[in-house]
Amino acid sequence: MKNYKLILNIVIALMLIGVISYIIQLTTGLVVTDMNNSYSWGLYIAGFAFFVGNAAGGMVLSASIYMFGLKALKPFAKIGALAAFANVIGAMLCVVIDIGQPFRLLNMLIYPNFSSPLIWDVIILSSYAVLSLLYFYVLRFPEIAPEKRILFKDVENAEEFSEKTAKTLAPIALLFAIGIHVVTAWIFATQGAREWWHSAVLAPDFVAVAVSAGTTLVFLFSIMVYGIKEEHKSAYKIMTRFISIAFFVHLFFMYNDFFIHAWYGNEHALHTLAVTLGDYWFVHLLEVVLPLMGILCLMKSKILTKAKVYRASFFILIGVLAHRFLIMPAAFNNLPLTISPMGQQNGNWEYPLASGRFMEGAELFITNHNYVPTFIEWSILIGVISTMTFVVVKWHKLAINK
Amino acid sequence: MRIGMVIDLEKCLGCRTCAVACKQHNAQPPGNWWNRVFTPGSKYHLIKPELGSQYFLPVSCQHCDNAACEKVCPVGATFYSKDKAVLVDYDRCIGCRYCMSACPYGVRQFNWEDPKETHKKIEWIEGGNNYGYQEEHKYDDRLVYSPIREKGIVEKCTFCVQYMDAGEKPACVRACTGEARVIGDLDDPNSEVSRMINNKGAYTLIPEKGTKPKVFYLPPKRKDN
Ligand code: SF4
Ligand code: SF4
Repeated sequence: MKNYKLILNIVIALMLIGVISYIIQLTTGLVVTDMNNSYSWGLYIAGFAFFVGNAAGGMVLSASIYMFGLKALKPFAKIGALAAFANVIGAMLCVVIDIGQPFRLLNMLIYPNFSSPLIWDVIILSSYAVLSLLYFYVLRFPEIAPEKRILFKDVENAEEFSEKTAKTLAPIALLFAIGIHVVTAWIFATQGAREWWHSAVLAPDFVAVAVSAGTTLVFLFSIMVYGIKEEHKSAYKIMTRFISIAFFVHLFFMYNDFFIHAWYGNEHALHTLAVTLGDYWFVHLLEVVLPLMGILCLMKSKILTKAKVYRASFFILIGVLAHRFLIMPAAFNNLPLTISPMGQQNGNWEYPLASGRFMEGAELFITNHNYVPTFIEWSILIGVISTMTFVVVKWHKLAINK
Repeated sequence: MRIGMVIDLEKCLGCRTCAVACKQHNAQPPGNWWNRVFTPGSKYHLIKPELGSQYFLPVSCQHCDNAACEKVCPVGATFYSKDKAVLVDYDRCIGCRYCMSACPYGVRQFNWEDPKETHKKIEWIEGGNNYGYQEEHKYDDRLVYSPIREKGIVEKCTFCVQYMDAGEKPACVRACTGEARVIGDLDDPNSEVSRMINNKGAYTLIPEKGTKPKVFYLPPKRKDN
């Protein structure tokens, strides 16, 4: 990486801003966000879903190498495992920044409630983090000087060992890579209260988005560390195919769900669509058009350049972040306690709830909240993104194939 | 014993005394309301909606038998008491707000900042005009009530656990001017609540969500005119 120092410094500066913002949030409470009692999850949980999604790519690629014999991807296996690890760290940080009592985080280990999908997710995410680190280590194994090895010290043929172990780990890694999305999706999909999430398509859709976004991220990182290389051409092709097919599958899942709801015409479901396609039409446009532009850019260009890959990945990832952002509005701006008042014909009346945010002159009982993340929220999230980038940039040298 | 409540909507005057009593007895900080009363169909409380008839609907935690909040709580901070009331352990809650999103009734309230700070906004002085029950209350050695909550935790209706444990009725039941609220044992077929439910056509709110609420409502009577 040419501008290694510069990138690292920028990333560290952004991390610091994030830390300062987080200290402010820690001392004053979550009032510094724009969330309230009715809109109780916001940018942080969107970021959580975003990072979990990005974490898939590496392992999916690695699994493809050993399970489906796509040898062309081999140079990217290590960078993939590293990206996976960095993103899981990002996801876990998102949980930490979101909760009101971060110092009680250990309660999750002391008093786990095994009926909670959040506990399942914490378990599977940490296993995935360990697994991707292990995978990274195994892939690097032959390059590590024998006296510096921490694990598997008495292995003799390092090359063979690495190859064999990677092969065994690949299917397990794939299982976990799919697992983290399914379980993360279940956090939302199990909530019968929220029409927008309570759908069987949510988990498959999370997997589709993840394959698309995760591969994009590995693509981006590989170009950053290797630059464009002639001998990687077929790998680029395969990755582009992964990204585009997965994204189209995602579009199919999403609009399939929309269509079924729209056709039946249940008022609650229509309302969720009205929020996503109406109030937030612009964000919806972004989530669809930006990735399509990125994919088109990757598919159409005969000669791939660094700039093109950067632009394309930027479009796709911003689009996916927009998609994650849209997890919330239609869920929270559609109150489950909506009743048809007695004596009315098919009325639809939302029962207002207390916002929990006392401000003089402001409406306290609300049914709708136009959520706009505050500066603090953005800077903390950007701090997490920088942390993730830091891990990759810092260790990228270890991930390069000599 | 399964503790439950019946609210007779014919008797409810919409005076909101229960909401105020609840707020004051349980020392809820400004901005948080465990108990709300509105006029269904109308934008303004106590104003007849454009269509339909005027009645009032108090809503607080429904103490569900299949409580979504309890199932999702990652640390078991939300738990069932022996009477199957749903309580929150203020010492254990990590403030993830999963329960708030999972509850279909919008009754869970979060402490977005230190309640002491919020109190200042209404010119409250520490040690001065304190309101609410002033002692901490533990149930099974778990902190289920404290007059000043910490920031970053969730709170909600407890059926006034601090009073019930002392053999008294919840504040809303005692305060209700229309005597519309009755609390009792749902498992006992002869209790007043059971008889009201069985004989007077009680219903629960949004039963399609499947949470099996233990707060029941008697519909207002038909008015012929
Ligand atoms: S009403 Fe909500 S908070 Fe109360 S028990 Fe039911 S799900 Fe939980
Ligand atoms: S906010 Fe507290 S009570 Fe609610 S689910 Fe999280 S830990 Fe449990």
